[in-house]
Amino acid sequence: MNKDLKETIESKHKEIEPLFHKGGKFEKFFPLFEAQDPFALTPPDVTKGHTHVRDAVDLKRVMFTVVVALIPCLLWGIFNAGYNYYHYSGIEANPFMILFRGALIVMPIVLTSYIVGGIWEVTFAIVRKHEINEGFLVTGLLFPLTLPPTIALWQVAVGITFGVVIGKEIFGGTGFNILNPALTARAYLFFAHAKDMTGDVWAKFRYFDPELGKYVDGKTGATPLGLGASYGGQAADVTERLSSDGFSLATIFGGLMPGSIAETSAIPILIGAAILIVSGVGSWKIMAGGVMGLLGTAILMNFLPSGVVGDVTLTTWTQVPFIYHLFMGSFLFGIVFMATDPVSAAQTDMGKWIYGVLIGVVTVLVRVTNPGFPEGVMLAIIFMNVMAPIIDYYVVRGHIAKRNAYLRKFSYAKG
Amino acid sequence: MTADFKIKNGLDIPMEGAPGDQIRSVPLKGTVSVFPSEYKRVKFKMLAEEGDTVKQGGVLARRKDQQDFLLRSPVAGKILEIKLGERRSLQEIVIDPTDAADQETFTTFTVNGLLKTPREDLLSHLKDTGLMALIRQRPFNVIADASVPPKSIFVNGMNTAPFRPDAHLLARGKAEELQAGLNALTRLTDGPVHLCLAAAKAVTPDLLTKAANVQVNYFDGPHPSGNTSTHIHYLDPVLPGDTVWTLRVSDVLRIGELLLNGVIPSTQTLLLAGNGVKPEARGDVKATTGMSLSAILDGALIEGETRIVRGDALYGDIAVPESGVYFYDQGYVVLPEDRERHLLGWYAPTTEMYSAHKVVPSAWLKGKKFTFGTNTRGSKRALVLTGIYDKYVPLDIMVDPLSRACISKDTEDAIALGILETDPEDFALCTFVCPSKTDFGAIVAETLALIQEEGF
Repeated sequence: MNKDLKETIESKHKEIEPLFHKGGKFEKFFPLFEAQDPFALTPPDVTKGHTHVRDAVDLKRVMFTVVVALIPCLLWGIFNAGYNYYHYSGIEANPFMILFRGALIVMPIVLTSYIVGGIWEVTFAIVRKHEINEGFLVTGLLFPLTLPPTIALWQVAVGITFGVVIGKEIFGGTGFNILNPALTARAYLFFAHAKDMTGDVWAKFRYFDPELGKYVDGKTGATPLGLGASYGGQAADVTERLSSDGFSLATIFGGLMPGSIAETSAIPILIGAAILIVSGVGSWKIMAGGVMGLLGTAILMNFLPSGVVGDVTLTTWTQVPFIYHLFMGSFLFGIVFMATDPVSAAQTDMGKWIYGVLIGVVTVLVRVTNPGFPEGVMLAIIFMNVMAPIIDYYVVRGHIAKRNAYLRKFSYAKG
Repeated sequence: MTADFKIKNGLDIPMEGAPGDQIRSVPLKGTVSVFPSEYKRVKFKMLAEEGDTVKQGGVLARRKDQQDFLLRSPVAGKILEIKLGERRSLQEIVIDPTDAADQETFTTFTVNGLLKTPREDLLSHLKDTGLMALIRQRPFNVIADASVPPKSIFVNGMNTAPFRPDAHLLARGKAEELQAGLNALTRLTDGPVHLCLAAAKAVTPDLLTKAANVQVNYFDGPHPSGNTSTHIHYLDPVLPGDTVWTLRVSDVLRIGELLLNGVIPSTQTLLLAGNGVKPEARGDVKATTGMSLSAILDGALIEGETRIVRGDALYGDIAVPESGVYFYDQGYVVLPEDRERHLLGWYAPTTEMYSAHKVVPSAWLKGKKFTFGTNTRGSKRALVLTGIYDKYVPLDIMVDPLSRACISKDTEDAIALGILETDPEDFALCTFVCPSKTDFGAIVAETLALIQEEGF
């Protein structure tokens, strides 16, 4: 049966392929044909050049593995969105209702991202006559997962447009971009539509109130990061205050709380991280470096008082134990899925460590020293995306110096 | 004096089609060709004409840039045709061999006498007989320049690539030829002659492990621990301005044969391997230099479309069956041309197609051998994944920055990053494992050619 299906598809492909070739009716749409063709069947191409055999790995497989690693986060995001919807609207709901409601909230956001982003991707592929890159499968899912579930669909469309066009295509497409496109898209929304993206509006679902017989706004629910910033500069026991506001360490780890779609729970993110690390697709060096940088800086910050110190205003976050920093906000999601994007990250081994550690350090610095931004991960990663080539430059110079030292050893030995 | 090097970086591809250790002879059939075109970038001037009869060892042509560097015939016979290519470059000289044992004879040497033969005499003898072409030089892997003494000479006796001939098998029963060749090499440099062997072979002493007057070095580890670049990097790396000379054990044996017998060797031992060759035909064959490949491969290949590779599966040139045995050849790997398409193959959890990446299930199967065809197994994409290539290169080279320097034609950076220590074959594994299907060997080869042209 499988074989018959394969033969049918193969013969159909052979039938329509000439339409897309030079002189064919759909010549302009060759990238479209080229994109779907190897998805159905592996290409019949044979090797050229001097190396005659090839590994079975393909960029499609690598990229799709990231999508697979994101699926636990997507499922969690759906459940959490449904849960919060009912939680803040005060309606009792069973798990099926929660999942259904969650899917109704999250899937349109994901689909909008894929469809609008996909249209841009195809447009550029046709105009530039290059292949459609599978990297978009990742960007198209990564971006919506970083958004609050209350985001408007037109904002999703504008955001992914910015990410694909300005974040990637103006640099020449996948492989040439400086910043992570998904994060560029999110950063754009963050600054352009700040009030819809941050702080304490994240649980603002409109819901149908059967008693009143009309749609009403839900209660607002704050995120722990938003709350923490609002505690002001008092040197109170922050964890106690968080706990009394409903954010114990267990809640923060488990993640049944308001926040961006995929960031709230550590569990699905850790499953995704395991998939990326075991399959070798994501760099464990960046992840490990990031966690180390975050923990180290958070511990150092604990020695500082909060409030106004000299010219600097420090937020209450100086007093938060490092473990809260790790599970709160979107740090885990960012370091596992965003920071490890191989195109915008540092490329050398040593560079990856430095890049990861600095993302952790900058994240805590933004959280602690900048009362304007409750969350620092996005800014930290974008900042380090920009710095990555400089890190690599110095790592490579160091490598050359080490090489020369090794070579010189031999010239001395010879006199 | 023995050094030991344990190489960690690299990969032994579990490829089916490994040869056995039998050697059979293939009788000479049809015409014999000499291919001046195989000496890349070297121009020749014909000294004989169509219709001339030549002896075995008779002069056919000389290098345009070196009057005393001759090209001689491996067999006696009549010149049938001289084929010219673009801009009248000499491509092929077709000779109809005769049975007559009509040989040009040269000075003979003794094994021990060679240790005292003056360097200049040896070099002019090698150039006169054309066997100088077997000695190559780094950087750039070109025919050695006799006027610049090398700081050391490297003889490669390893076969980590899939597949190259087993030097220990080739040397069996040729004690005198081997030692004569090695002794001659010791006269060509003031530095040491390094013979590099697989550590596994040290257990059973044979002619190679017991070779005299040279430094025997053992290398252990996956491919490319057997590549000459690896040996040079660890033993005596090439510094700017340095040259080292390189040979394979089979080359040393041929030089030894010439020096002892005073006759141009007319046969070569060639390896047939790969899963395009029938299992019973896999192994070494002894054949006449220049005879047609179709005569050698007659009946040895599997059914269906195949590709003949001059060299190994990871690095070699495609050869057509109508072509002949090149002077440099030491074997052919034959692979099926695989144009089969697989339904959803890009994500199907394959266990039949080998991968070195853990993201493919087949990478988890230890000890299994895989069949290989010539399919690209994916389409070409921009370079996206980084930092995965370095673990396939045992030299102190960072592949990502080097390939970027090469692509942007930044020769200065490429040199600083160590390109002069390399040969394109050293990057074959990077090409093999690349998920974006990038040809690193080609990228490096292009830049090496550019540097060679511009000087440095």
